[in-house]
Amino acid sequence: MVEARERAEGVVGPRRYEEVLKAARSRAEEALRAVGVSFSIEEGKGFVDLVVDVDSVVRAAEALKAAGFDHVVSVTAVDYPKRKQIKVAYHVTSYLDPEIAGGIVGLAVYLPRASPEMPSLTSVWVSAEFMEREVYEFFGVHFRGHPDLRPLLLVPELAEKHPLRKDFVVREESIYEGVPERVRRG
Amino acid sequence: MAVHEALAAIIGWPPIWQVLIIGFIGSLVVSIFAVWFERKAAARVQRRLGPYWASPRLGGLLHLIADLARYAFQYPIIPRRVDVVPFLAAPIAGLIIALLPLAVIPFTSNPSYWPLPPAAMEYSLLIALAIATLPPIFIIAAGWASNNPFAVIGGVREAFIIVAYELIAILGFLGAAAAVGSFNLVEIVAAQEGFKWLILLNPIAFLAVFIAIVMSTSAFPFEIPESEAEVVAGPFTEYSGILYALNMGGAYMRRFVLAILTVLAFLGGWQPLTPGEGLLWGYILPSIVVVAKAVVIVLAISFLRAVYGRYRLDQALDMAWKILLPLALAGIALGLIEASIGVV
Amino acid sequence: MSGEVRVYGGWRDDLGLRVIPSKRIGKDVYEVFIGPQHPGSGHMRIIIRVDGDVIVEADPDIGYVHRTMEKLGEIRGWIKPIPLFERMAIHDACNITLPYVRAVEKLMGVEAPLRAKYLRVLLCEINRIASHLYGFAIFSIFLGHSTMYMWAMGDREVFIQLAEELTGARLTHSYPIPGGVRRDIPQGFPDMARRAVRYMRKRLEEYRKMFLENPVIRSRLEGVGVIPKNLAAELGLVGPNARGSGIAYDVRIIEPYEVYDELDFEVPVYTEGDALARTYVRVEEIAQSLRIIEQVVDWLEKKPREPIVDESIYKKYPPLHKKILESQGRAKLLPWMATMKVPAGAAIGRGETGRGEIIYYVESDGGVNPYRVRIVTPSARNVIAFKYALPGHRVMDLPAIYGSLDYFPPEADR
Repeated sequence: MVEARERAEGVVGPRRYEEVLKAARSRAEEALRAVGVSFSIEEGKGFVDLVVDVDSVVRAAEALKAAGFDHVVSVTAVDYPKRKQIKVAYHVTSYLDPEIAGGIVGLAVYLPRASPEMPSLTSVWVSAEFMEREVYEFFGVHFRGHPDLRPLLLVPELAEKHPLRKDFVVREESIYEGVPERVRRG
Repeated sequence: MAVHEALAAIIGWPPIWQVLIIGFIGSLVVSIFAVWFERKAAARVQRRLGPYWASPRLGGLLHLIADLARYAFQYPIIPRRVDVVPFLAAPIAGLIIALLPLAVIPFTSNPSYWPLPPAAMEYSLLIALAIATLPPIFIIAAGWASNNPFAVIGGVREAFIIVAYELIAILGFLGAAAAVGSFNLVEIVAAQEGFKWLILLNPIAFLAVFIAIVMSTSAFPFEIPESEAEVVAGPFTEYSGILYALNMGGAYMRRFVLAILTVLAFLGGWQPLTPGEGLLWGYILPSIVVVAKAVVIVLAISFLRAVYGRYRLDQALDMAWKILLPLALAGIALGLIEASIGVV
Repeated sequence: MSGEVRVYGGWRDDLGLRVIPSKRIGKDVYEVFIGPQHPGSGHMRIIIRVDGDVIVEADPDIGYVHRTMEKLGEIRGWIKPIPLFERMAIHDACNITLPYVRAVEKLMGVEAPLRAKYLRVLLCEINRIASHLYGFAIFSIFLGHSTMYMWAMGDREVFIQLAEELTGARLTHSYPIPGGVRRDIPQGFPDMARRAVRYMRKRLEEYRKMFLENPVIRSRLEGVGVIPKNLAAELGLVGPNARGSGIAYDVRIIEPYEVYDELDFEVPVYTEGDALARTYVRVEEIAQSLRIIEQVVDWLEKKPREPIVDESIYKKYPPLHKKILESQGRAKLLPWMATMKVPAGAAIGRGETGRGEIIYYVESDGGVNPYRVRIVTPSARNVIAFKYALPGHRVMDLPAIYGSLDYFPPEADR
């Protein structure tokens, strides 16, 4: 059976990542335009985020999936307390389409920090299931329609506090706890 | 009556010599030695030392004694949810019944030291096999009484495996009986006079019996009921201390007893020694020869651990029913052919 | 890709988008909690529901060794996360930390000099071999093959010693720093490396005889835990698990970081998608890593006396540290690095660890701490495979599939 193996060399030869990223980006932009989803672009180093509206995120995700972005590498959430927003970005890329394989494109939405809620994209990208659970417990983002939304890594009591939000401060244990900073520094 | 005569009479009484001394004490020593050999041989293959520092000159043999002592003094926990009576009875009864076949196996051709009356000796192979099939029931009982998912799964696996190997073991031994035309172990040994050992004349039946022993005592590659990676310790998951040691030792003792039976049926029993008169030459020395040959089989089984992983349950059953069963039947056919030609 | 994918365990090729819902308990289903205190589970729990001997549902329950890496990454400055993150998989330390360092480098706008890049690749490949051997050892003890376990663990020592010689630490090397590496190779290292390569090549042949071609092992692995190509893509599996399912994807060729585009190596891909294919991918990768080590060592020997930290950082060195760097080849960490500020922006750094692609999303607001570090480790992405690969298999296949996925809980839980 192992005789049927193949070498990847030649299939996806060494190439410049920038070109792949450019191809992936234009492919994603075309796909979103085709379904009439308006988006804005946020540049990053090594990836690009396409920010869409919460209402159109499922349509956008389906369009990206159809355009060849077949799996999610990361559901990245970032908390912006000053702007009272939480950004959730689905960083997706492709395995099966050699032209865009590896180019990371983010489908991002900004949610209100007070009641972050968005439709789950697990029905579009199966690979998002566990990552959405992670964002749910760490940021308190509620994913509507997720098949099994419960904490993944944390115990329920800790998950309620959403530890990756900026207002969760890590209290460091120390026997000098309570001693004023000025006294400690001398 | 002098003291030493009384002592000889007691030791010479087959139930004492065979069940207590060869059975309990002998198999304990053999088990310890086999475990030590298993660890030492595996260590050699795996490029390490194995047990060593407990007694460097003995190659770490005392390590195993220390292990045994540890088991003996460990607190045996009896979980609250188990069914206490079968939980305690299963390992003890399993161990005792594993040794009972020794009470009917002849260790000499001298009729005064046979464990059964000569008329009953005619069926000694059948009686021994019948008793040897009993102990696995207690393993299943142990698993069932433990009230633990892993133990139950392990017990069910044991049940599957019993059905597979038992038939093969019995058919394999029947291959020997068919060649000789008798169920009398003494006659089977006598027929192998002059190195006409049945392992040479009927290797097919021997192979079937050997693999059946490996399966029955859950040695590698058939260590399935106790497979650590998914069912922890199988039927013995809830056991600890001396009860666990009894369970584990039970497997080695069963292996030893079945090996003795194999030696008589295939490896020429007490030959090349010819039992003479008197306790020493008529009984003790022949049984030592038999035990020595059995130890070789036990060690050979122990060595398999270093080479193989374990089969999956369905693969083991597949192999038993599709390969070993026809093999055992072929062994009987071969035995019958040899008997009709008159080779044996 | 050619090669037919054989489908076992009731999987259909058109599985596509179907999500398996959890908590689907039928009649006569037996629930078994495997782990976290179980000899065959590692630090995780898999709740399996079995019908007879067949698994109908598997629910991986992880998080038992969660260590708040992402939160701690936000409060410890830019340098201290390096030794923190390598705790996720200490035997794969360089592979795990290098993508973070590269993401920080992207934000800072510095680049490691060529020699430092070669040194990083050297340690990455040493780590990759050690990581594969570790996974191999665990895998074989799951299958009850104690000899392979001892061999792999013993041979891993060779590469750990090699790494120790190079970095001074057996496991947690903290070797790459933004703008370079912390040490140059010591004298006599090329000979040691070549010896290790020769030794390992010989051993791989013995592994093949003892383990890969062992009839018992093959019957346990062949056709077990098959993940078809489209399912693997759908689940987003990474590393040897994806390559065992016929996906030609390796960050070292997709985004050739450091000097991987200058090296001659192959990425093995098997199309069967079963446990045996995943095992073969790992063995082949060890052989390829040995090739890389040889090439890198040759290059390092030919071109000594090149800087191992970036010019912009070297300029800030005090004279004493410059002297140490030039005479002993050791780059000291400087005090200003503990409180350095990194320009605002977001970067994704990624690399191929032993278990697959690791991704760091690093965001900076221009302060002394990272604003957000999102880590997606290969095991965290592979864990979903349990849910989809186990159903339809027998309980005894669980360790075979678990081991072949090379799942490592501390890495997945972060």
